[in-house]
Amino acid sequence: MESKWILNRRRFLKTAGAAAVAGTAGLLEAPKKAWAGEGKLATLIDLTRCDGCRDLPVPACVSACKRIKTGTLDEPVDPIPVPFPSGKVEDWSKKREVSDRLTPYNLIYVQKAQVESNGEKQALFIPRRCMHCDNPACATICPFAANHKFENGAVVIDADTCFGGAKCKTVCPWEIPQRQSGIGVYLKVLPTLMGNGIMVKCDLCGDLLSQGKEPACIGACPQKAMAIGPRGEIMARAEALAKGIGGHLYGKRENGGTATLYVSPVPFETLSATLKPAPGRPGLYPVERRMEKTDGLGKAVLAAPALGIAAGVAGAFSFISKRKNRLKGGE
Amino acid sequence: MSERILEEQNRVVRHGGIELAEHWIIALSGLVLLLSGLFELPVAARYGIISIPGLAWSGDFITSLSVHYAASVVFIAASVFHLLYHGLAGERELLPQKGDIGTSIAVIKTFFGKGEEPPFGKYLPEQRLAYLGMAVIIAGLILSGLVKTWKNVYAPDMSHAVVLWATWLHNIFFVLFVLAFVAHIGAILLKPNRPLARGIFTGKIRLDYARHRHPLWMAAIEGNRPSPPENESSSDEALSGTAGAAAEAPSATQPDSAPPPDPGAAESSTPATPPEAGRNGE
Repeated sequence: MESKWILNRRRFLKTAGAAAVAGTAGLLEAPKKAWAGEGKLATLIDLTRCDGCRDLPVPACVSACKRIKTGTLDEPVDPIPVPFPSGKVEDWSKKREVSDRLTPYNLIYVQKAQVESNGEKQALFIPRRCMHCDNPACATICPFAANHKFENGAVVIDADTCFGGAKCKTVCPWEIPQRQSGIGVYLKVLPTLMGNGIMVKCDLCGDLLSQGKEPACIGACPQKAMAIGPRGEIMARAEALAKGIGGHLYGKRENGGTATLYVSPVPFETLSATLKPAPGRPGLYPVERRMEKTDGLGKAVLAAPALGIAAGVAGAFSFISKRKNRLKGGE
Repeated sequence: MSERILEEQNRVVRHGGIELAEHWIIALSGLVLLLSGLFELPVAARYGIISIPGLAWSGDFITSLSVHYAASVVFIAASVFHLLYHGLAGERELLPQKGDIGTSIAVIKTFFGKGEEPPFGKYLPEQRLAYLGMAVIIAGLILSGLVKTWKNVYAPDMSHAVVLWATWLHNIFFVLFVLAFVAHIGAILLKPNRPLARGIFTGKIRLDYARHRHPLWMAAIEGNRPSPPENESSSDEALSGTAGAAAEAPSATQPDSAPPPDPGAAESSTPATPPEAGRNGE
């Protein structure tokens, strides 16, 4: 799993240099190779460009994602074990064509928001997928380390070790990971009592990135509404773009920061108000990183050994002194 | 060292205040860790634990993580304190000694009526082995837990290999911790060991019991060790230093040295043979 993320430093320097030159060519020209290098990546989604592929039955990014992910999941067993006590099996394998929400077989979809801004009615289209948060609770609290944030910024679930307990979905502020029952290691342990499948979400097309290619959705976009590149560069582009159009950013601070930046001409509060969050259809509301509240205690945990050392050494010193005094007949 | 004989009460002080505090702080924080750690698996909502009064928080992973962290601070500080305090003071009575495995097997056989127990020092050989086992488990839990905590707070993108190791070691040691806890309670429930249970609450155990089952320890306290010594550590200097006036030192083979009149003694009757007396639990 990890090996595909181990990237070559020399290639990075070479491509990053090339990207720096190429970067001036156009704000939204995806740097062709930079994202194959070492270092953190980020993606930019420009809502001024995305038109939801109105002429197509399914937006190009969604089709491309479906296409590249076809056959990557094992086939669910039949019948799928019924989990105790809920009895709730989540089987999307017979509805793989669904493209208007997130499912284990549809890792990106495009939301439509009808908004009125500056007296004008307009439709905005918002591609939605995993935000690849900077400090993702979904990954850090996975009890089996099946979900992990890699050095390049991609948050990836390993289908081979995921039990489908859906803890990641519970702690994700957008409830992005989707469950497919009947697949995974849980079948070999206690299928009705522990776990319930595998969790699936966007992995930023790690296989393509390792080949120096861009994620399928980004490459397929006819409007070039999405870009991927070195984090600093993408952040700078997003901010410059937002500033240029008097627009707004989403994803920079949400959930403590993410590797996905949306740039919108209308405020996200306005967009959020028109989007009704539903299962597989996340909102665009403000999000605080809940786990941040535990960081103080976490730091105290890391300091606890020092506390124990100080107390132990002081206690032992005092004990030994007393013992010496006693042996000298002091007592 | 607070070990001393209280003839009037038919008691001997086995643990000092520091040892009792260490034990209970580690035990209670360990239990909180065990439960809150369990709740880090998605079990509480699935199995209705959240509907148990007082456990509604168990279904919220962030809250149970906070509880886990809070208990960890206490658990880690107490464990490290224990290691350094007793390590630097040279107290090694709880560390396994040569022959402990064989002796433990012999002792376990006596529980089934086979053979007789040898005379013991302060700790039973199986206690020393169990201590080492629990110490290894706790060290494994702490070290792997610290890596996981570092990842949570500072480095969510640390090497996946390191995170996998830390996570799975933490999970495996968690299972071993549960098993060790069950074995620990099981050992206390064994009839011959029951007189020891009082010690972890009050620090004292029955003197007549100690004279029968732990004669080597008693001899050490009373400054009249039989030879060859079964065990005991370098801290014996301290022990002999504190070996109070005390009564006549009973030897391992003279269990009849009369305990003073005492209700505890009445319970257990004046021992006729060492093993019998030891098993007349309270």
